[in-house]
Amino acid sequence: MALDDVPRLGCGRSIDSIWATIERPPTAHEEQCDHCQTARTRLERLSEETRALRESDVHDPALKPGPGIKDAIMDVARAEVRRGSRILLRSADNGTTEISEQALSSLVRFAAAAIPGVHSRRCRIEIRPAASSIAGEDDPSGTAGNATTAGPRLIVNLRVAAAPGIDIPLMAEVLRHEISNAIPAGVGIGAGTVNITVEDLYDV
Amino acid sequence: MSEAPLQGSIITSQLIASLAARTTLETPGVLRLEPTVQGFLARLGPAALRHLRNPGSQNGTYRHDGVTATISNGTARVHLDIATDIAFTALDVAETVQRRVRESISHTGLTPGAIDITILAIEHHRGPTIM
Amino acid sequence: MGDHGPGFEPDLDEGSIVARAQDGDLAAFEHLVLTYQYRLFRLAYRMLNDRGEAEDIVQETLTTSWCGLPMLADADAFGGWIYRLATNKCLDVLRKRSAHAESIVDSDDMDAIPGARARSVGWDPAHEAEWSAEQDGLTALLKTLPPAQRACWLLREMHGRSYAEIGVTLKISPTAVRGTLARARHQIAEGMSQWR
Repeated sequence: MALDDVPRLGCGRSIDSIWATIERPPTAHEEQCDHCQTARTRLERLSEETRALRESDVHDPALKPGPGIKDAIMDVARAEVRRGSRILLRSADNGTTEISEQALSSLVRFAAAAIPGVHSRRCRIEIRPAASSIAGEDDPSGTAGNATTAGPRLIVNLRVAAAPGIDIPLMAEVLRHEISNAIPAGVGIGAGTVNITVEDLYDV
Repeated sequence: MSEAPLQGSIITSQLIASLAARTTLETPGVLRLEPTVQGFLARLGPAALRHLRNPGSQNGTYRHDGVTATISNGTARVHLDIATDIAFTALDVAETVQRRVRESISHTGLTPGAIDITILAIEHHRGPTIM
Repeated sequence: MGDHGPGFEPDLDEGSIVARAQDGDLAAFEHLVLTYQYRLFRLAYRMLNDRGEAEDIVQETLTTSWCGLPMLADADAFGGWIYRLATNKCLDVLRKRSAHAESIVDSDDMDAIPGARARSVGWDPAHEAEWSAEQDGLTALLKTLPPAQRACWLLREMHGRSYAEIGVTLKISPTAVRGTLARARHQIAEGMSQWR
């Protein structure tokens, strides 16, 4: 079956071209041509029926999946939930404390939600391991030992969509400030570096 | 496997797990214990069957939603997966949980070992939201 | 869709909701499930005319989407992607069905579309009464279209998807989508003209 052979009327016009102008008054040719008139009448009826079916399907309670469907989908999602990597917050003889990347991201998003004109999108959090001494932040061997360690250094990479017309540099600054406060308050460690990428404008 | 009485009672890893779970849930700032994929798979897999037959033993591991307890040579280790309330500082909540769980383990006569905590989620108290 | 998940922030754009679901946010994913389950069900039901199978399509599509979300490069492409997954699952079901049917019945040539045939095509008594006779007619005619044509017509006319997106879904060019759609409309209109 050739997919691009468009059905044509006896007068040579395509069904498509009549359909395209069906909302407008008939052209001079259409008023003269029996083929076109018949086709127009049929297509007008089809257009009306199509609209009616679209409306009734959307509102038809019988055309909805059972309530168990959503639950079944969410059960699978919960069982396969993605928490991202885990970040070691504190390590001591009597136990370690870790936090999931997702828990940190949600904290970042809660902070971002307080600022009008910005929608947070994907959030990746990298970790520079805590230095076990007071020494420099770049000590690569600073993995969690037995001693209680200083907090890890976070690198927060947040992508956001902004409302059109918003002052982006100002928004980014406020956002960074908000996040830098929220992480110590919500987790109890320093926020480290907060990188903001404005990737999109959202429709208001 | 013999279950030797300890101070007049048998302390199983299941008991330690439920003790730790209860203590955790009573700690302010903890919203719930959070089941993980690993826990889910463990319940489905052969290990789960083993647990059904022998739900917690004097020497062994018991795993339930969000809590794993292991008893070895009189020492109880616990791992907890928790969700915390955003109104609290997560690290402080974890520290309180660790202290309280250690206390409640010591009341059983066992020695508290490492109490490891993973904060899997931070949420508003009313439940998960898109914010 | 007015049916939002718990705690939904009403002005959040879909791209941002998708991005959060990509990061593993269950509340965001639940919102997407609530938004798309009805649309996908309507599509699948009109493709397959079977509630149970349509529910399976909705469930499989959205479950698959949870696992595939992190790989989705463009958060704004979610709608097109989810429609593509669902449509192709429907077409798979119809292919299996027709392979099965051919082994039982002689032939069931879906390409032959005389309008008169519409009357003999399977009706669904449970729902027919609720619809006007004319819409019954339209849905009955729809059932006589070859699967790809039906998908094309439903995606465009019932769901407002773009020619480009439908083309990607059906693995044909946007021009071919236009042609397929024209043939579908022509055949439905022909069928309607033979009603009374």
